[in-house]
Amino acid sequence: MTIGPFLWQLSTSLKGPADDIYSSTPRLFPSDPTLANFIEAATKIPILGFAANSSLVALLVVGGNIIGATMAGYALARLRFRGRGVVLGAILATMLLPAESTIVAQYLTVRELGLADTLLGVALPAMVSMINILLMRQAFLAVPKELDEAAIVDGANVWQRFWRIGLPNVRGMVAVISVFAFIAAWDDFLWPLLVLTTPEKFTLTVGLQYLSGAFSSNPRVVAAGTMIAFIPIVVFFLVLQRQFFRGVDAGAIKG
Amino acid sequence: MRRSTRPSRSATRCSPSRAARGRGRVVDRDTAPSDQRDPKRTEEPMSATAQAGGARWSAQAGGGAEGQSESIGASRPTTAAFGRARRIRTHSWFAPWLLCLPAIAFLVVFNLVPAINVVVLAFTNAKMLSGGTFVGADNFVRMLHDDQVGTALVNGLVYLAVCLPFLLVLPLGLAVLVEKKIPAIGFFRTMFYTPVVASAVVVGLIWTWLLDDRGAINAIAKSLGLITRSVPFLTDRWLLLLSAISLTIWKGLGYYMVIYLSALGSVPRELHEAAAVDGASAWRRFWSVTVPGVRGTMFLVGVLITVGALRVFSELFILTNGTGGVGGANVSIVMLVQMYASGFNGNLGYASALSVLLFVVTLVPLAVIARVQRRTEQ
Amino acid sequence: MRNRRLVATLAGITTAMTLAGCGLSGAQADDAGSEPSSSDVTGEITGDVTLQTWALKAGFSDYIEGVIAAFEEKYPGTHVNWIDQPGEGYEDKLLAQASAGELPDVTNTTPAFGFQLAKEGLLEDLTQLDDELDSTYVAGALEGFQFAGIEGTYGYPWYLTTELNYWNTDLLTQAGLDPESPPRDFDELLAAARTVKSATDGQAYLMSKKPNLGDFASAGVKVINDEGTEFVFNSKDAVALLDEYRQAYADGLLPQDVLTDKFLGHTELFKKGAVGWTTGGGNFIAGAIADNPSLEDKFALSPHFGTPPLDVQGVSVPKTSKNKATAIALARFLTNAENQEAFADLVPGIFPSTLSSQSDFAASDGSDIAEAKAIAFASLDDARVLEPVQVSSAMSTIINQEIAAAMTGQVSSREALDTAVEKCNQMLSE
Repeated sequence: MTIGPFLWQLSTSLKGPADDIYSSTPRLFPSDPTLANFIEAATKIPILGFAANSSLVALLVVGGNIIGATMAGYALARLRFRGRGVVLGAILATMLLPAESTIVAQYLTVRELGLADTLLGVALPAMVSMINILLMRQAFLAVPKELDEAAIVDGANVWQRFWRIGLPNVRGMVAVISVFAFIAAWDDFLWPLLVLTTPEKFTLTVGLQYLSGAFSSNPRVVAAGTMIAFIPIVVFFLVLQRQFFRGVDAGAIKG
Repeated sequence: MRRSTRPSRSATRCSPSRAARGRGRVVDRDTAPSDQRDPKRTEEPMSATAQAGGARWSAQAGGGAEGQSESIGASRPTTAAFGRARRIRTHSWFAPWLLCLPAIAFLVVFNLVPAINVVVLAFTNAKMLSGGTFVGADNFVRMLHDDQVGTALVNGLVYLAVCLPFLLVLPLGLAVLVEKKIPAIGFFRTMFYTPVVASAVVVGLIWTWLLDDRGAINAIAKSLGLITRSVPFLTDRWLLLLSAISLTIWKGLGYYMVIYLSALGSVPRELHEAAAVDGASAWRRFWSVTVPGVRGTMFLVGVLITVGALRVFSELFILTNGTGGVGGANVSIVMLVQMYASGFNGNLGYASALSVLLFVVTLVPLAVIARVQRRTEQ
Repeated sequence: MRNRRLVATLAGITTAMTLAGCGLSGAQADDAGSEPSSSDVTGEITGDVTLQTWALKAGFSDYIEGVIAAFEEKYPGTHVNWIDQPGEGYEDKLLAQASAGELPDVTNTTPAFGFQLAKEGLLEDLTQLDDELDSTYVAGALEGFQFAGIEGTYGYPWYLTTELNYWNTDLLTQAGLDPESPPRDFDELLAAARTVKSATDGQAYLMSKKPNLGDFASAGVKVINDEGTEFVFNSKDAVALLDEYRQAYADGLLPQDVLTDKFLGHTELFKKGAVGWTTGGGNFIAGAIADNPSLEDKFALSPHFGTPPLDVQGVSVPKTSKNKATAIALARFLTNAENQEAFADLVPGIFPSTLSSQSDFAASDGSDIAEAKAIAFASLDDARVLEPVQVSSAMSTIINQEIAAAMTGQVSSREALDTAVEKCNQMLSE
């Protein structure tokens, strides 16, 4: 049931011109299987270029989240400082206030920064997600305090404690936020559409729209394009999912 | 980055007595996360100075990961000698701010400013393309007469009431299961992850295929003779809500499972082993070791579920194509926000006021969660 | 205390930033509106302009690029930068562009988009800049870009489309109906739907579409007053029509799920072979056969019931354009008879909006596709823009919700339409 949608999509993308797309009794196996749809999707639009743009955006977002959320999460969990409550409160408050209506204002901000029609402009607002800060903070909170204590005894400073003790113990959560950030960045459609103008800079979700035009769209080719766009998510996920378990497999407490 | 500033800083140490911190650490570990989250609680046994609040406390010592820092004194006491240890400055005042700098920059520019913008706009009659003027509480008065707002709030609360218990516990159970090394576990893991990576379009496709009046579920139920007329999963007010809730849970299982998985890593194995030696059943160990071990995460997940449930959008949207069901009986606040804010003549003022309403409404269950959390820690 | 002060300061700073900057978005759009307009239009036709089309890159790149090349050749020194926006999210994109004051020099609009932009004073009034509008374009298309309450014409009409009825001959035959003479009006449609239901034991449907505002207008219901200031679609006629749909739904003549408005619309159900009737543009058949080859030769065609819908595409020139003379020249060039006829030859089912090209599109060679084109072309004379430009997406959502509520019987048709009219009027007056 959970993989059904993908099989269906895959099946559509493999259907040849003689197969019906819409049928009352869904047929999973095409009677006229072909890879032509994939070839058409890949040649009709510069799919590699779009994918490269998407990758760059995803990389920026994932990198930004790893760095920004991890550092802030560490500080908020492990260091006491004046204003910590304020920062936490602000993070939570902005999460609670739906800002769905401000996307145009957001665009104007990015434009003011001179980042309209750039991939950095696409990535920027998502580069540190508030929810990820909370997740990282939670992960750091769970790291045993003895480790920090021992390090302090040994004269380690904040950076060393963050780098040597904090980080290695939260790799699982880093993997989790990476995956969430990657998926969010990769799947986003409306925001990159607003920011980008030059077709060469389009991300994959936006660029794939060029497969369906005003009077012409072949659902088989669109499905093939969707499948191609989906592959990197799967790969990214498969590579990182082992990290989710790392804490258990390797034993969380080191040192 | 390997500056060794500590010796000089240690001169400025200060030392509230913290006898309470010496308690057995290993046993107490599972409460550690919550300890830190709530300074008031950790400082309870201490002097009035400390109780005055986190800010003052850290003003003296520059902070430190809670009580650990007192383990370090001039004489380098062993960990056993915590009780009388003196507190030192374990980091410079700017270190936390430096660490938070990127996050705060993003927070301010891309979250706080828009958020404050929303609050300001809520008191205006701004439209998408034309600036507005201040109209006082007009937008909020209008809400009182908008029956869809009431409907949306009820939907959100029902959503929350159903989703919270399911999504708080089930994903944890799943996380414990898939963590085990048993044959074919990879398949199950993947199965639960899939909804996490699936795009909304594909999800909508499969769910409508399952639920529509000639969909798979109705067809099977008919062929088994269970029903004679199609069950209106997508057109009945409560059934549609239930369908959307199932969809949320379906997606949430994988999402929160992943979060729990990474938290499980920090539950010490010894505790499980010790409990197993004591003859505790797997069920008991789940409740007495695993659950307390991830309690901090659980509260965070609770907060996320609450915020998510009240903000539900995409599930209802994809099942109704944006109309919020027959007669708009299945709208959510965020759907209303979207509806009023979209397009050229989007009413930003009213949409923003709805956002503010949702903000206020969300505070209530969050306050309850915070209270429960405080209580469980005592 | 310190914390509190910090919060206050922070809030103060950000509020100040917000108000000064993009707080009330649209500030920039207003600036744009106050620019002097027509004086600089008489300038020389040269330099760079940007052309923005809507979902034409897939399939029509060669055509658009050809037009651009011809334009640049005709006016040496000009350079056209073509951008094509994806089909989805075009309104949002236009909104963002308009807010930033950077709408492309020549922008593909529809009457609805044109109205919203013109209302905010963002578009050039072409009546003032071009004396040949009436002698170049058909009146119906021009009217699409002339709005009640706003003086002027805000777009050059481009290609036109309309719709006609498509019937699945297999399904009609199976139900004992004659595919050669499909229903000719709504009443016959209802009767035929009843026949299909009883003949197939409820397994197949003829109708699969919840009515929308366009269907009301098509049936002759007045939707909005002539001044465009008040919706009036809660008339007796409208209630009677909705009652008929309501009865049809109660009798099981439509699938239950039509009310959900989910993506599997009646066109897709038609392609599936699950329903026997749909409406579509003159180019529907080719796409339907490509999607479902088994549909080949199963089409019967007939003109749209009532008033056929007219879909007008156009190009507008924003006041913010830096090179208006060239922009207007390009807009005229793109929509001239020669280029429009070439486009219509390329896509069966779209028609030119130029007066001089209205004679030779009726020829049919007997094939279904040519026949559809001929029927569509014949319908053009009667076709009108059915949904008023004043209807926003929020209004359509509310109308949809109320119609669905009436069809289930939760509220009476009268109540539903009254509520919808009331809410829409409130939004319209804001």
